[in-house]
Amino acid sequence: MSDKDKLAREVSRYVDGLMSSAEEREFLQLIERDSELKAELAAQRKLKEVTDGMNLVQLPDKIWDGYWKGIYRQIERGAGWLFLSAGLIILLSFGAFHFTSDFLLNPEEPLIARLGMGVGALGIIILLVSIARERYFARRHERYEEVER
Amino acid sequence: MDTLVAELVQATVKRPAADQDAGLLAECARGKTRAFHLLVEKYKRRAYYVALGLVGSHDDAWDLSQEAFIRVWKGRRRFDPARPFWPWFYAVLANLCKNCLRDREVRVRHAEEVRSREEGRRTALGNPEAILHETETQKRVWDGIQKLPFKFREIIILRHFQDMCYEDIAQQLGIPEGSVMSRLFHARKKLREILEGPEQGVR
Repeated sequence: MSDKDKLAREVSRYVDGLMSSAEEREFLQLIERDSELKAELAAQRKLKEVTDGMNLVQLPDKIWDGYWKGIYRQIERGAGWLFLSAGLIILLSFGAFHFTSDFLLNPEEPLIARLGMGVGALGIIILLVSIARERYFARRHERYEEVER
Repeated sequence: MDTLVAELVQATVKRPAADQDAGLLAECARGKTRAFHLLVEKYKRRAYYVALGLVGSHDDAWDLSQEAFIRVWKGRRRFDPARPFWPWFYAVLANLCKNCLRDREVRVRHAEEVRSREEGRRTALGNPEAILHETETQKRVWDGIQKLPFKFREIIILRHFQDMCYEDIAQQLGIPEGSVMSRLFHARKKLREILEGPEQGVR
């Protein structure tokens, strides 16, 4: 680490008032030799004075009352969607099984109808898989793209 | 609500913060929404104000902090009780804020009219005028903070508005304490440069 970097760190400690009196004296002596850093120190102290006087407006308690409700509603809906999806998957699997065994593989049904239905069902499956895959990759991409830590 | 507050006070008084959170998260992992409610009550204000500092608008800060809690709920079984809760939560929240800012930039870049609509949509609380009890100088500083690159804005918000010590910031951001000091120096320097730009300046 260069001396300049070390001094930069010390500037932060000084501005934030984290130095002992002895450290302060030593630091101020050191910084006398660097006019650029000395000017920076003065500017940062001024900035700190301004930010010390800044306070975020506190939201009224009435507004906070709705915070948990908003979260709970979304959790509840998430669970609802999960159960609904699971139910639909079970029903669709059941339907697909009967459709295949009772219709597609039933020699008593006309071949042309079985062929048409079979090809149509295959098309629907391909479309659903394609959409599901696209959404899965979009979700993964969005979730991890910006993660740095 | 009173019972909840009493439970929260009881949990807070008896055990150290890390233990309370680990205990609550263990309950959450078993699907107890009551424990999660306590956790939300404990951290909601901090989460909201950090998000407000990072994205600069009430509506977005409100939604993003709630979304972060929902993601924590969904990932509650992956939480390691040996580690403190807040840094984990903060990583989730900061990423959401980052994504929000990125999306906002894209929107602004592609359609100026979308921007004006967004501004029109802001509530009185979303208006920067209402975010701070401020003088003209403080308002300029707040606007300047919103123009900083994310990693600089983040450290300024944590140090100045969350009043966190270097050690806690280092833990939260997963960087050494020395890096906190130098990042803070460069963040303040950058902020000063922004403020000294055309028609700016801390007086």
